[in-house]
Amino acid sequence: MLDKVKKYSWLTGAIFKANLSTKRQILINFLTAKKKYVPKAEVDSILKCALCPNMCRFDCPVLKVEKSEASSPAGKMRIAYLLETGKLEFSEDAIDLMYKDADCDACKQWCPFNFSVGELLVDVRRDIVERGLAPKSLLEFQERLKKEHTIYEGGITSLNMDPKKGGDVLYFAGCTTLNKRKEVADATIKILEKAGINFTTLPEEWCCGAPLHTLGFHDAFREFTEHNLKTLKKAGCKTMICSCPACVYAFKELYPRNKLKVEHTSQFLLRLIKEGKIGPMEMNEEYVFHDPCVLSRKLGIYEEPREVLNNISKLKLKEAYFNKKDTRCCGLGGVLGITAPEISLKIAKNRSSELKEVCGSIVTACPACEMALKADKVLDISEVVLRGMENRNGG
Amino acid sequence: MVDNTLDSPKGPEKKREILQKLRNKVGPENVSDKEIDKIAYSKDYWPITLRWVLEGKTPALPDLIVWPENTKQVSDVVKIADDEEIPIVPFGEGSGVLGGAVPINGGIVIDIKRMNRILEINDKNLTVTAQPGINAMDLERALNKEGYTMGHSPQSIYCSALGGNLSTRAAGQFSTKYGKIDDMLISLEAVLPMGEIIRSKNVPKSSTGPTTERLLLGAEGTLGIITEATLKIWPYPEERALRSYSFENLENGLEVIRKILRKGMFPAVIRLYDEAETARHFYQTSRAKGKCMLILVMEGNRELVDLEKKVSERMCEEHGGIDCGEDPVNHWFDTRFNVKEASDFAPRDIVFDTIEVSVTWDRSLDLYSSMISAMKKIDGVLIASAHASHFYPQGVCFYFTFGGTPVKGAKPEDFYRSVWNAAMRSCIDSGGSISHHHGIGIMRANWLKEELGQSFEVLKRIKKTLDPKNIMNPGKMGL
Repeated sequence: MLDKVKKYSWLTGAIFKANLSTKRQILINFLTAKKKYVPKAEVDSILKCALCPNMCRFDCPVLKVEKSEASSPAGKMRIAYLLETGKLEFSEDAIDLMYKDADCDACKQWCPFNFSVGELLVDVRRDIVERGLAPKSLLEFQERLKKEHTIYEGGITSLNMDPKKGGDVLYFAGCTTLNKRKEVADATIKILEKAGINFTTLPEEWCCGAPLHTLGFHDAFREFTEHNLKTLKKAGCKTMICSCPACVYAFKELYPRNKLKVEHTSQFLLRLIKEGKIGPMEMNEEYVFHDPCVLSRKLGIYEEPREVLNNISKLKLKEAYFNKKDTRCCGLGGVLGITAPEISLKIAKNRSSELKEVCGSIVTACPACEMALKADKVLDISEVVLRGMENRNGG
Repeated sequence: MVDNTLDSPKGPEKKREILQKLRNKVGPENVSDKEIDKIAYSKDYWPITLRWVLEGKTPALPDLIVWPENTKQVSDVVKIADDEEIPIVPFGEGSGVLGGAVPINGGIVIDIKRMNRILEINDKNLTVTAQPGINAMDLERALNKEGYTMGHSPQSIYCSALGGNLSTRAAGQFSTKYGKIDDMLISLEAVLPMGEIIRSKNVPKSSTGPTTERLLLGAEGTLGIITEATLKIWPYPEERALRSYSFENLENGLEVIRKILRKGMFPAVIRLYDEAETARHFYQTSRAKGKCMLILVMEGNRELVDLEKKVSERMCEEHGGIDCGEDPVNHWFDTRFNVKEASDFAPRDIVFDTIEVSVTWDRSLDLYSSMISAMKKIDGVLIASAHASHFYPQGVCFYFTFGGTPVKGAKPEDFYRSVWNAAMRSCIDSGGSISHHHGIGIMRANWLKEELGQSFEVLKRIKKTLDPKNIMNPGKMGL
């Protein structure tokens, strides 16, 4: 508080010295002016962002491929501001623009207000949904997800493990791991078994709901949170581990407060190494580590996966020029793969090239990144750990 | 304000025809007349345009936006515009603070962002050749990655394009060592207003008559569009030293800087804050309370940096400077890109803006006092302060900040213009130049004639010769 008083003493001092009419006007401005421009609370941050000279634009993956002002962070917010204050009609183009975002938080790194454009857009999308203006394809996505409980049409929702198997630890694979990177789930399970962990999985895993939240489908998201919390309570596990950083983020940050301890696999693996439950590992190969945006920026987890990999003897771990919190999006951030697949592919191409400059083999820690990135080899940290264990112990 | 050449007098049919011609030349994906794009290109970072955002107004919409991908396409678009007599507004990243990129006459915005490649980094010659649409930070990061720096680090580095920097003769915060963008330029390629392409030779210096291509520097798109540039680069500094001192008053601080430069020593960053700005930015430094803070950054070769550090320390101490350590410099590094005044204060109808001017040493203190006093005289001005941040053996650039609110029913725009006019009048009367590195745009246009004297007529004649139909960024710089 005292620091704040000191910080603004230049301003309070100036007000104190000002003549009476200026003092009076400043007081009136502070009390009333904002009401003219900020009709509802959510608009305050949108307006602040809209009035910025776009100081985060150089790091925005969407702008990097679109190269158009409307797609810039502050550009989107200016359109959002006009929409939210009723000065612009919700046209198809304007609505589409509100979904052109990777929710990668690169912007937040550079923002003096600590804004995430992705998070600001969630409020706008929620408004679009409430007005009944959500794009048809997204409504269909929502309906399918509500029906099938996975983001993949006709996808699976279970690892089909022995339903009687119980344990303190619950492994929650997530839609993308289950349907697109099953190898990751298999590797994780093998590691857990080898480490002697008493673990279980859910007979039916519903999506964590993060895509619903991001798309502004607030009611549907609530249904998923309620269902998942009930199911998880019933499972009775103390710790839940997830392969997908977006699931970790959803359970930890988007769900109502809960007592569940949620960890990303990289954190759990490190713990197992430190506790001596994972023995010596060896892998005479070279990899570059790609930091997933959600893991490194939203969750602040970037040392743990490196520590895990550095425990594998002979493994040469290389660093990308843009790494840790300065990582770059793989293209499948947020729901961009659904809302703007052509942009998503271009972003993936950019990031793949950056990584390939360093090394042809990529290791990362997010199933979506693994789907998006193209290289000679793209593996998950759990796959690399398992191979390391098998190399040393002969499988 | 808007004379939408395509929408009003010639009608939609003509617009469709031109749209088609442009699409044929640059591809349909590189042309737009969508409403959201027109709104996105209707402003830059001129505070007046921020008022437009607040009030939900879009009085300066372009008719079309074109994103050329190469020099030929720029030339093709310019030729179409010249034939049809349609205004063209070149657009980089819209960080200009004087309205230079605002399409006040409608027409075609040519956004250069899709020309953003680095064409060559030449180690032997220490040059980089790049297209104008590259973001300044992307360029610097790419150079850093390869072990170089351009030394061009304006506060807008995150949000400005190389082409915009060149077109406004921008200056970075490390300019005292590395120079301004115009000092860094070796050669360029540009498209002139009738579509001709000019290209200067990539040599360090020549004596081949006046350097015509340099007319494009600082022309803010009124004389053509820069399509490629070769610039000086440096090996990435191996050492960096940070020092800070507080001085009893501005005069003492300026005096020590003048003497440092007189010795032929050029620290990369020199910044001297007046008392008001010292209180604002360095409130945590007790040794600077009620004083003027000087921060110095020396970088480059290790031995030279050590020597510069030693000499600057000795000189600051001899001139009564109180050592404040490295913390204030680190604080500056941590906060130098925190641009939040407009976001914080504009929605409260409080106007903030900055005005940068240059002056020789012998007139520097007079100019500083006169401009501060002129701005403070305007009813409603709450603060008027300055720091000096670009230095030469011959003089200094002062960077003023003012803030306040219209009183007695005055409109924000009128209040804003009153402060600017008072500042400009005072600057000219004190023998200063009205802009050091932000340029002219719309806001300073009325003052350029007085600033340049007869040379303004020369500029007008050049403009008339190169752009007889006045299609290139009309209404800017008083042209």
